[in-house]
Amino acid sequence: MTLSLVDWSIIVVYLVGCLVAGLWMRRYVRGVQEFAVAGRHMDLNLGIASLAATELGLVTIMYAAQLGYEKGFAGATIGVVIWGAMWFVGRTGFVIGPMREAGVMTIPELFAKRFGTRVRWLAGLFVAVGGLLNMGIFLRLGGEFLVHATGLPPSQLEWVMTGLLGLVLVYTMLGGMLSVLVTDYLQFLVMGVGIVAVSLVVLWHTGWGNLVSGLDTAWNAGQLKAHPYNPLHASNFGWGYLLWQAAFQIACATTWQTQISRVLAARDAATAQRMYRRTSFYFVGRFLLPALWGAAAFVWFANQGGLPEGVNSLTAMPHYLSLILPIGLIGIVVAGMLAAEMSTDSGYMLTWGTVIYNDLVRPCLRRQPSAKVELLLTRLIVLGIALFLLIYGLWYELPGNAWDYLAVTGNIYLASVFTLLVAGLYWPRATPAGAAAALVLGAVGPILFLVIGKSHAIAPEVAGASSFGLAAAGMIVGSLLTRRSPPSAVVPA
Amino acid sequence: MNSPASYLWAGLIVASIAWYAFLVVYIGRKAGSEIRELIRTLSQRGPSDPPEA
Repeated sequence: MTLSLVDWSIIVVYLVGCLVAGLWMRRYVRGVQEFAVAGRHMDLNLGIASLAATELGLVTIMYAAQLGYEKGFAGATIGVVIWGAMWFVGRTGFVIGPMREAGVMTIPELFAKRFGTRVRWLAGLFVAVGGLLNMGIFLRLGGEFLVHATGLPPSQLEWVMTGLLGLVLVYTMLGGMLSVLVTDYLQFLVMGVGIVAVSLVVLWHTGWGNLVSGLDTAWNAGQLKAHPYNPLHASNFGWGYLLWQAAFQIACATTWQTQISRVLAARDAATAQRMYRRTSFYFVGRFLLPALWGAAAFVWFANQGGLPEGVNSLTAMPHYLSLILPIGLIGIVVAGMLAAEMSTDSGYMLTWGTVIYNDLVRPCLRRQPSAKVELLLTRLIVLGIALFLLIYGLWYELPGNAWDYLAVTGNIYLASVFTLLVAGLYWPRATPAGAAAALVLGAVGPILFLVIGKSHAIAPEVAGASSFGLAAAGMIVGSLLTRRSPPSAVVPA
Repeated sequence: MNSPASYLWAGLIVASIAWYAFLVVYIGRKAGSEIRELIRTLSQRGPSDPPEA
């Protein structure tokens, strides 16, 4: 065990602080509006903190460090692509502007106005399934970090993660988005301090010159399989993968429900756009700083003669940190990483819970339930999601690396829902039949990757890009072959 | 430092660390005020106030 009493004290104070703050906000929840979108009172800087905290989870740090370990600094290129995508969407208001003005709580709700309730339900199903599969590996990856960074016995991984999820569940179920916003704020601060501190310690410990020469030596000796600086090199991502990522990240910035929930909670469209622009550069560090830790871990273990037994490219970074971080600092870092895990778990549970209630359950109810019943149902769904996370997270085995899994599962709905959004907002000829065809066809590629990915080698960019192509083809052909639906503009509420 | 591209990554790493440190201080202060304002607004809303779109 590498943690001292000082480290444990820091962690306990942080956890108790989050729980108290989260529970405190419960008193302001009176209905689903407050629970799901904080009554739409979120301002710019709180939005930035919440968006940044939610989108930078411990799972993010783990897969970005794995990319750094396997591909050097070039592994962080995806962060640069996201920077461009977020800035573009924030500058132009592409999709997010009209979506916020429509006054909806979820993306499928917008589809009900444009394509009807059946498309809304189908879209809600794809959003929920894709989102939950995507989130399914968060706990295990987070647990792997904690086990390797703190020296906890691996047998305790499940218990630690169950306890952590239980804590997040309590304040998310009771306080909804209001609790999530306040705890995200605390977590943004703790996580920011932890990330800056670790990056400085890693640079100081390894030395920039040693890091670069270590990567160069490993690349020239064939120990490193991908060019450590050039993402376009044939051994690294290459053009095809990065072009897919560019399309994928624009789709993500305009469609990913956890990001969009901050757009919908913003005061107005202008606030949402500013939030995107000002958060955009954050995404470079979201990939690059963990990639720096991963690359430093690679150089460190290469100099030691290879990885210790039981450590792989995913767990090399936390194992390395446990060796170099001094007592006291490791407590802050573990608290920071717990913050990253908790803010992501809470934001994701709330978001998918809201979608399942709002777009799958509610349209099936014959009578509009009271505010109390609505709240109870949403909370029970959040509880169900937590149970799913525990079960799925324990038995699913990744077919490739973590980043590819996340990108492909996210794509189950990203490509199709993105196509629906763009067509629904900007193409008057789009019809409900085209929307349904786009939803189904867009999910084919990613689902095939998940089902047969273990036995047949399907490149993730092929599975991902094919889903965008199929979704667009479904929308165009389906719309042109069916009658134009009655005019149904997406009217600002 | 052999590859010129490593200078680009070095610049981005320094900029990222500086940006994160800046955000923790700046956003930390501003967002803290916004939380107080949010709580004040929610406290002042009466039970019959309609939700805003």
